[in-house]
Amino acid sequence: MFELDQRIAEQLSEVSLNSAIQLRSGTSNSFMVTASTMLPLMQMFEMGGVYISASRGAVEIIQAFESIGVDVSHIQFIDLVSSGILGGTDVPYQNIHFVDSPIMLESILLRTLYILRTTPTERNFVFLDSVNALSIYNEGRMLAEYLHTFINTFRQREILSVILNIPDQTPPLVLSNLDLYCTDLIDRGQVVIN
Amino acid sequence: MPSSVYQRDRCITGIHGMDEILRGGIPYGSTVLAAGTCGSGKTTLGMEFLVRGALAGEACAHFTATEPSVKLLENIRQYAFFDMNMVDTGLINVFDVDVLYSWLGLDKASFDLDDVHALIKAIVDIVNTIGVTRLVIDSVTTLCYKIKSEQLIRDFLFTLGKKLATLGCTTILISEITSATENAHWSSFGVEEAIADGIIVMGDVERMGHLLRFLQVVKMRGTAHSRAKHAIELTPLGVMLTPMLKWGSAGEANWGG
Repeated sequence: MFELDQRIAEQLSEVSLNSAIQLRSGTSNSFMVTASTMLPLMQMFEMGGVYISASRGAVEIIQAFESIGVDVSHIQFIDLVSSGILGGTDVPYQNIHFVDSPIMLESILLRTLYILRTTPTERNFVFLDSVNALSIYNEGRMLAEYLHTFINTFRQREILSVILNIPDQTPPLVLSNLDLYCTDLIDRGQVVIN
Repeated sequence: MPSSVYQRDRCITGIHGMDEILRGGIPYGSTVLAAGTCGSGKTTLGMEFLVRGALAGEACAHFTATEPSVKLLENIRQYAFFDMNMVDTGLINVFDVDVLYSWLGLDKASFDLDDVHALIKAIVDIVNTIGVTRLVIDSVTTLCYKIKSEQLIRDFLFTLGKKLATLGCTTILISEITSATENAHWSSFGVEEAIADGIIVMGDVERMGHLLRFLQVVKMRGTAHSRAKHAIELTPLGVMLTPMLKWGSAGEANWGG
């Protein structure tokens, strides 16, 4: 049985809509940390939002949620991966939007803002998965500048931003900037083995 | 010392981010050149400018010279911001320049001074009769192809701009350019940019093989506008803008180091 980290929900109850959360995970617990964050946002706090998938195709992420019995059909996904794969955009879900490449950082921001303008929920989040995947394609200074813009754009609009990050694989410049810009930190970067 | 600084009344474009860049909108009665490369979003920008005006109850006109009005409307209907009712109810009036030429009997290969004056009079009469406050000419490049002398083009644009301003009409002249780089001309004939009150440049930045649309206001008389490059996205809700990343605005040339 899939076990969620309940302490994340407790931490989330202390953040406000204009917060920016740096969500640290390890390589092996990334989906558990993601699900433990997304579930309370969707179910406890009844939020809608946008999931930006740079690490994997959105279909794979949606199916991972479905496999643990979570419906994400009201969440809009921006898929930055599948346009680079022939046939990757032929998907059975209506809630997936595609951006050509993770290099189109401004397009990702504008597409997110566009979706948020059309979303019916009053309280929304933006989940960025992940800084590491973006750093494969984008130079450190540009990514640091982007995260600065990204976080401030959503904070100003009272949209909660959650930025998934595996610290071991994040360029130091980007990591230090994330520490600086984010208002909250949920750190599950170290996997504790009982 | 004066207690407040005089500010010209603005034509609020209603385009997401645009009025912020212009610090409130385009000064009323301005003639603005929207110069861009192919596929940069000029026509969509022009049409959204009219739609936002129509939504505010303004009478708008669009002169199309690059494509037939039927084709233009078919293309623009895919955008959620556009409502065909605005055309049906006369809030947005679309004119084919070819049809206008036929009305005026201007079926020659090149226009002389009299022809140019007839064309100006026809446009101004339409604006005056309908009470148009927002006008788009798409494109001024195609419109001026038949005017062979640079002096005549200058006279045409200057006189047209002056008359439209007198009528309180804010005009966007769309201009087709082949390059939107720093060294490029922002007009096809080299004269439009000097006559226009404002210049908006639209083009693409290449970033590692991908084209990212940008918009930059390089000149706008009567307002202390931003001159930064902005990335744009053509969404069903209209044009959306965000400042372009400083480390990514000049493409691969800016990388490294």
